[in-house]
Amino acid sequence: MKKAKDKKIVGKKDDKNIAVTVSNLHIKYRGITKTSIRASWRHMTDKVEVFEALKGVSFEIEEGKILGIVGKNGSGKSTMLRAIAGIFSPDKGKIDLHGHSISLLSIGVGFNKKLTGRENIYLSGMLLGFSEEEIAKKEREIIEFADIGKFIYKPVRTYSSGMYSKLAFAITAILETDIMLIDEVLSVGDAKFKEKSYNKMKELISDEHRTVIIVSHSLGTIRELCDEVLWLNDGKIMMKGSAEEILPKYEEFMKN
Amino acid sequence: MKKFFFNIKKYYKYAIRSAKAELKSEVSDSYLNWLWWIIEPLCFMLIYTFVFGFVFKNDEPYFASFVFVGQTAWDFFNRMATGSVRLITNNKDLVTKVYIPKYILLLAKSFTYLFKMGIAFLITFCIMLFQHVPFTLNILYIIPIVLVLYVISFGVGMILMHFGVFLNDLANLTNIVLRMMFYLSGVFYNIKRRLSGRIGFLLLRVNPIAFLMNELRKCLIDGVNPSLEGLLFWLAAGVVLCAIGVHAIHKNENSYAKVI
Repeated sequence: MKKAKDKKIVGKKDDKNIAVTVSNLHIKYRGITKTSIRASWRHMTDKVEVFEALKGVSFEIEEGKILGIVGKNGSGKSTMLRAIAGIFSPDKGKIDLHGHSISLLSIGVGFNKKLTGRENIYLSGMLLGFSEEEIAKKEREIIEFADIGKFIYKPVRTYSSGMYSKLAFAITAILETDIMLIDEVLSVGDAKFKEKSYNKMKELISDEHRTVIIVSHSLGTIRELCDEVLWLNDGKIMMKGSAEEILPKYEEFMKN
Repeated sequence: MKKFFFNIKKYYKYAIRSAKAELKSEVSDSYLNWLWWIIEPLCFMLIYTFVFGFVFKNDEPYFASFVFVGQTAWDFFNRMATGSVRLITNNKDLVTKVYIPKYILLLAKSFTYLFKMGIAFLITFCIMLFQHVPFTLNILYIIPIVLVLYVISFGVGMILMHFGVFLNDLANLTNIVLRMMFYLSGVFYNIKRRLSGRIGFLLLRVNPIAFLMNELRKCLIDGVNPSLEGLLFWLAAGVVLCAIGVHAIHKNENSYAKVI
């Protein structure tokens, strides 16, 4: 908390370093979900139903800031995160990362359960865009943080679910990028690790060079962590501003 | 195309690692472990040799080697085609969580199949030694032929992978087509001798797998040169297929995550 406040002051001195620019972002889900071959003949002539998840969203984030995104279910929050992470391409509009590295914090990507935890660190890390050498440098730190003892040399399928998420969390938390996208703040494992992971998370988030976008339904988390809040409703921006300004209005809106 | 090579360069290390991981996990908890990689193809080839050589009385010279060569080439193509149809859906977890050029998934798969093909070729060489097939330097032509086979399979694989995302029942259709191709490729009979005249002539030209299989046998068993024009033609066709596949994937890969 303190750290976050300090950073705000620093941020004000030399701001205007934009980390992410989203301009007029449109994302549509077409009705081309899965079909059979027979049905697809008819599709050729049919008008396909289009669902617009995001309808022209524009905003900027300065480097080092923490942006929280709130909104009711289906308002396009997760869609936007995935678009910024590059998993979707926008149908219209642009997303500019100004050359920063980015990752969507997700747990256990690309794990192969029959292989050892150590091997999975590499598999998962390389999928997140890190090179073998970079991972080798951080391997020790990951293993230490995961804190699952000699299980790291055993196949992941022998892990308890707690150990699994501890390792997965350690990988994403230690292999850091300039911009982090977080879909619900994670705290995993037993009570002790939960605290550790939540603190690590806070530490990662409040690093003054790191730009973070958090999607969460927990307003407490947003209030505690975020410099700015963006309120999405039905694919459009309702409001953007400080947490103190937005959250009461959002709460009011959700009650109705 | 530039993007394609850039991505391959960036991700091939991951592809290799993921292929190794898959091979390891395939045998990690079986009793006979990696021996399966040898036992399985060997048994299938012996079954075919027995059924089509002994039961159907085939008098092809060096029939076991003949079948082994055919089976090895066919298996690679078959695995690539079958494996790619559901590749994206099977990797749902990955596709919806990180960005990765989708043909890297196919590349990783193809490495595991190449590895298996390598083993199958080693078994084939052993059988050839056992049958006293005369070895000639023409055996080296195996490299360009396998290259052409790889390029064609990769192209077909990418196209199937792309349509497999949207069409649920593509797997059924490919199964039928592959079964037909299997019987028309001459894995266990000599197309030239059995299907004389126009049909045989056509089959060897229309079906790349039949053609490549025939060329492989020509240089491994008969010790003659392969048809270089034919190889060049199919290489060009393979490159075109790859270009179509890469184009389709680049254009659509970002919507895959929305569909599955």
